[in-house]
Amino acid sequence: MLLPAFEYARPESVDEALAELGRHRNARVLAGGQTLLNALKLRVVQPDVLVDVSRLEELRGIHAGGDGGLRIGAAVTYDELAGSPLVREHHPATAAMSARLVDRQVRARGTIGGNVCLADPTSNFPPLLVALGASLSVRGPDGSRDVAAEDFFVAPYLTAVRPGELLVEVRLPPLASGERVGYESLQLGTDSWALARASALVRCNGAIEHARVVLGCGPVPVRQPAMEAALRGRAATTEAVEAAAELAGEDFEPPTDVHASSEYRHAMGKVMAARAVLAATREER
Amino acid sequence: MGDSAHPITVTVNGERHERTVLGRQLLVHLLRDALALKGTHIGCDSGNCGACTVVCDGQAIKSCMMLAVQADGRAIETVEGLSGPLEPPDPLQAAFTRHHALQCGYCTPGMLMAARTLLAENPRPTQDEVRRAIKGNVCRCTGYVNIVRAIQDAAGTLE
Repeated sequence: MLLPAFEYARPESVDEALAELGRHRNARVLAGGQTLLNALKLRVVQPDVLVDVSRLEELRGIHAGGDGGLRIGAAVTYDELAGSPLVREHHPATAAMSARLVDRQVRARGTIGGNVCLADPTSNFPPLLVALGASLSVRGPDGSRDVAAEDFFVAPYLTAVRPGELLVEVRLPPLASGERVGYESLQLGTDSWALARASALVRCNGAIEHARVVLGCGPVPVRQPAMEAALRGRAATTEAVEAAAELAGEDFEPPTDVHASSEYRHAMGKVMAARAVLAATREER
Repeated sequence: MGDSAHPITVTVNGERHERTVLGRQLLVHLLRDALALKGTHIGCDSGNCGACTVVCDGQAIKSCMMLAVQADGRAIETVEGLSGPLEPPDPLQAAFTRHHALQCGYCTPGMLMAARTLLAENPRPTQDEVRRAIKGNVCRCTGYVNIVRAIQDAAGTLE
């Protein structure tokens, strides 16, 4: 299909990309293009200018801090996340999740930055990044600012990145000793959108010391403080976790659509929350 | 605001091409229309079916989901690169023939190119690995069993 007319720009640096974005009110950032090209075909977006950041070296790196925290460039692909020795060592669940996303063709092109900036409510990364306590580094004409993942997702398909700004980096804090990550999702088939999703970061030393549980597939990913509080101090048994998960669903307002009702997704959100926590307590490193 | 034109250099099946493309031109159209390589098929045109799969710098990608200008400086391999019309078929192609791994044939070029990248990374894949590798390729005849067998046979892992 022929795409609508636009100007294509391939800047050589983040500064040049920001200049392009500043010059044109109706510009879009192109990274892997695995959603944007379809949106262009469907005329859902009709930008004047497409600013291609997919080759910017500044956005292509994965770096580890001395503490095991990771700085991941926004244009790093799913394949690169999955194959990175640093990600596999310091954030094995993130690497494992990336290795199973969509299909090999999409994993070769799709990027973590494109994924989170799209802010599709059914995506894997948004709830995971909130559970990990990630922060996102956004650059604009006036400099950089860091946005906590919890504040980054504003509404479906809307993030804290303002016009003229560019997401440059995703920062994953180090996992503390005893901290593990789990994620679970309910899909109708292996290729369908998720109906409900949960990610959990759990610190477990015999008993659960701390848990961060996040539900996905509502308008934005949401923390589950009542469930988190109920888990604290409990043994990581199926019974205890499932009992705590009865309290999940706070501020979780998934839509009703052809795939499932809101009520069903809400009920399944609790099940996913329990499974994600149990997966986190049993994750092998 | 309108179109923009860009000179690009792209290597396709080992041959270097210099072309000027519109910013909005898809890679699959460059291959099929400008370079007359019709082996790469357009199925869904929305990234779902994998019929347009080609290899870009060693990775399988969907050529309807990449701009032609993004192929600048890249090496692309299409199904025509597997074997010429007067040459013996590539081992993967021969295995597809032996196992009747194509019915209508529409998905075949994409299946072959996805399989090619799998075997380059993992020369002896299990059946599960083959199935996962062609997850992005839809066969509208639903002939998956023979396709998986053919790929395993080419890899020497068919039991």
